[in-house]
This record gives sequence, structure tokens and C-alpha cells, in this order.
Amino acid sequence: MTPRAGLAARAHPFTLFVVVAGAAALAFIVPAPAGPLALYALTAVLALITGNAGAVARAALVCLPLWVLLALLHGVGGSFDPRSLTVSREGLAAAAAQGARLGAVATASLVLFAAFDPSRFLDAVAERGWSFHAAYLVVATLQAAPRFRRRAAAILEAQRARGLRTGRGVAGRVRALVPLTAPLVLGMLTEADDRAMALEMRGLGARVARTPLAPPPRRAGDRIARWAIGALVVAGIAWRLLA
Amino acid sequence: MSPRLLALIPSAVALNLAIGFVVNQLGLPLYLDTVGTVIASALAGPVAGAITGIVSQTVRSLYEGFIWFPFAAVQVLIALLAGFAALRGGFRSVPRSLAWGLVVGALAGALSAVISWFVFKGVTATGVTAVTILLTRLGLTTPQAVTVSSLGTDLLDKTIVFLLAGAVLRALPERVLGRYPWARRALAR
Repeated sequence: MTPRAGLAARAHPFTLFVVVAGAAALAFIVPAPAGPLALYALTAVLALITGNAGAVARAALVCLPLWVLLALLHGVGGSFDPRSLTVSREGLAAAAAQGARLGAVATASLVLFAAFDPSRFLDAVAERGWSFHAAYLVVATLQAAPRFRRRAAAILEAQRARGLRTGRGVAGRVRALVPLTAPLVLGMLTEADDRAMALEMRGLGARVARTPLAPPPRRAGDRIARWAIGALVVAGIAWRLLA
Repeated sequence: MSPRLLALIPSAVALNLAIGFVVNQLGLPLYLDTVGTVIASALAGPVAGAITGIVSQTVRSLYEGFIWFPFAAVQVLIALLAGFAALRGGFRSVPRSLAWGLVVGALAGALSAVISWFVFKGVTATGVTAVTILLTRLGLTTPQAVTVSSLGTDLLDKTIVFLLAGAVLRALPERVLGRYPWARRALAR
């Protein structure tokens, strides 16, 4: 991790979630189309400054098909005849505003994902005394997802080796879903049994406060950032209501 | 939350995500990203399914951006309806799974259409939006096109999800079903 990427990674885990929530709220509060476009530009610049160019590029890739479809749906009118196609300035402006909203939220969330450290997040939750179970669910899933994907790939390969034909039209491929899904579900239930026993033995059912091993430091900068974003959202709502 | 539930939910969420991989590999024009949610509801009740749905959407949002998070509401609706279907023995046979899949698909499609229009201005997944654009070219207004494409897609997708979940549940060994009290009711055993 580069030192600049560390700026987002060093932030308190909750600060990054507040940034994403703030970006999502402001994207729909600020007046369109200039507001969302400015917000997207600001989010992308902040991400670049903090060394998250990869997140900016990934967000743009996620949003690219949506931008094209928004322009086609709202900006281009007419029937199937190419001569009847018309371009609407208002439609394109609405598409640009919506595209910028999606871009801002996607960029902020992918910066969060790049900087997300599950163990720091669990420690932060334990330190606050919040629901450890909810945090555990997210973290355990992040760990289980790649494992299940690898298992799905292995099952697909094994079933094909046993003669499962997966290329005979849509109906044939739908029928192939059962022999591919059933072993995944059986594996899921076996793993759930093992994990339940392990969790029980580690006292997860105990109703006592947990002690975090290395809670992330509570820095003044994080507090100021969180309050500033909250104030910005409240001010934005008040301004839109009064204006 | 019991340790068993706490262990089941992450696996069910991972199943939702892994099925997406299988569907891509098979080249099917479907999502099937609620199979884990429906199975969790059928095995452990609608609350387990709803939590599975919310966590699925949260984790997917971490990977792809929180733009898709509003669809967590659809996951919750599907989990609640799957729980109700389980109470009524909705996974007992193929016709029952089919009927419940159609009901859930219609309701989920209606909610998807509302979210697609109000939050996303009609543009969501590429395939559904392509159908929406096609319908607007045929003369439908954009809100009408969004509604028709969302309903059509979800009817097909959720019906296959319920048929698949039913087939998998019926194939589970008795000793596994015995650990989940809701499962017996879902299969009317």
C-alpha cells in the first residue's frame, strides 16, 4: 500500500462509511445537473489525492454502461427508424445528473472497499459496544465469498467432467443449475454446522461486552470529518427546503 | 442471534454471490442472486432470510459500489414472502414452488420498478434496461417501460429461483432438514 493510499486506510473505519453515506445523501440533495456533476468531480479528486486512482477507474468502469444507457433512455427519442431519432437537451442533462450521482456514490464506496480492513472494523465495533453479530456477519461473508466462488468453479468443473452438458440451449442450462447448486447448498450447510460449533466454543453466544485487541485510534481529524459531513448534509437539506 | 444462525447467514450470502458466478459461466440471462436468501428463509425463517438479503446487498455494494443498495428492500420483501411460502408448504412440490415463484416475482418486480424509476431513473442492470429502451421505442412511456421490463424480468427470475430452491430443499437429507425446524414445514413433512 502506498503512503497516500494509507490516508484512507488510516482513517477510522466509521469515517469511511460516513463519507459514503454523505456522498449518497448529497448526490440527491444538491440541485441537478450542476450539483451532482460537481460532487462527482470533487469525490474523484479527493480519491485521487488520497492515492485511490484505482477506485476512481473501477467506479468509472462500473458506471460506464449505466451512463450509456441513461443517455440512450433519456437523451435519445424516436422509434426504430434511425431518421426519426431526436436528441433532447433536457433529457441529456437529466442523464448527466443521474450518471454523476451514480459516479459519486460508486467512487466513494470503492475507496471505502479499497481501504476496508475487516479486523479494524470488528475492533471498532467492539470498542463502541455495538452489535458484534452484525459486524461479524459482514466480515464473515467477505471471507466466505471467495471461498464459495472457488467451490462453485470446482463443482462446475467436476460436474462437466462427469458428463453434465451445460451448453444445450437456455432450457438445458437452466436444468444444469440443480446439479450445480445442490452440492453448493450441502457444502454451505455442512460449513454452517462446523462454524456454529466453533462460534459456540469461542463464547459468541455470551452476553458480555467484548474487549477489542487493537481498537483503531479516535483521532480529532476523524471526528471533525464526520461532523462536517453530517453538518453539510443537514445544511443541504435545509437549503433545498427553504430555497 | 444463535450461533447456528450466525454461521448460516454468511454462507447463504456467499451462496447468493457464488450463484452469480455459476449463472455467468452458464451464460444465462438471469440474476438468481436471491437463491441463498430464499433457502435461508425456508430453513430458518423470514428474519434469517431478511438479514441474508440485507447483508448480501451490503457486501455486493462493497464490491461494486453502494449504488445498488436500495435493492436491499427487494431482498427483504423476497425473504418475507419466502418465509410465508415456507409456512404454507410452498416448497413441497414443483407446482407449489412455481406458483409461489410467480407470486413473489410479481410483487418483487413491482417494488423493483418503483426503485428503478425513483432512484435510478429507469437504468439498472444492462439487460433489463435494454428491454426498457426497446419498449420506449415501441411507444411506451419511460415509467410504463420500466414497470413492464422489471415485472417481466423478476417474474422469470424469481420463478426459477423458487423452482431451484424447492428442488435443492427436497434433495436435502433428512438429518440436515432435522436441524432446521422451518425446513420441515416448507416441505410439508
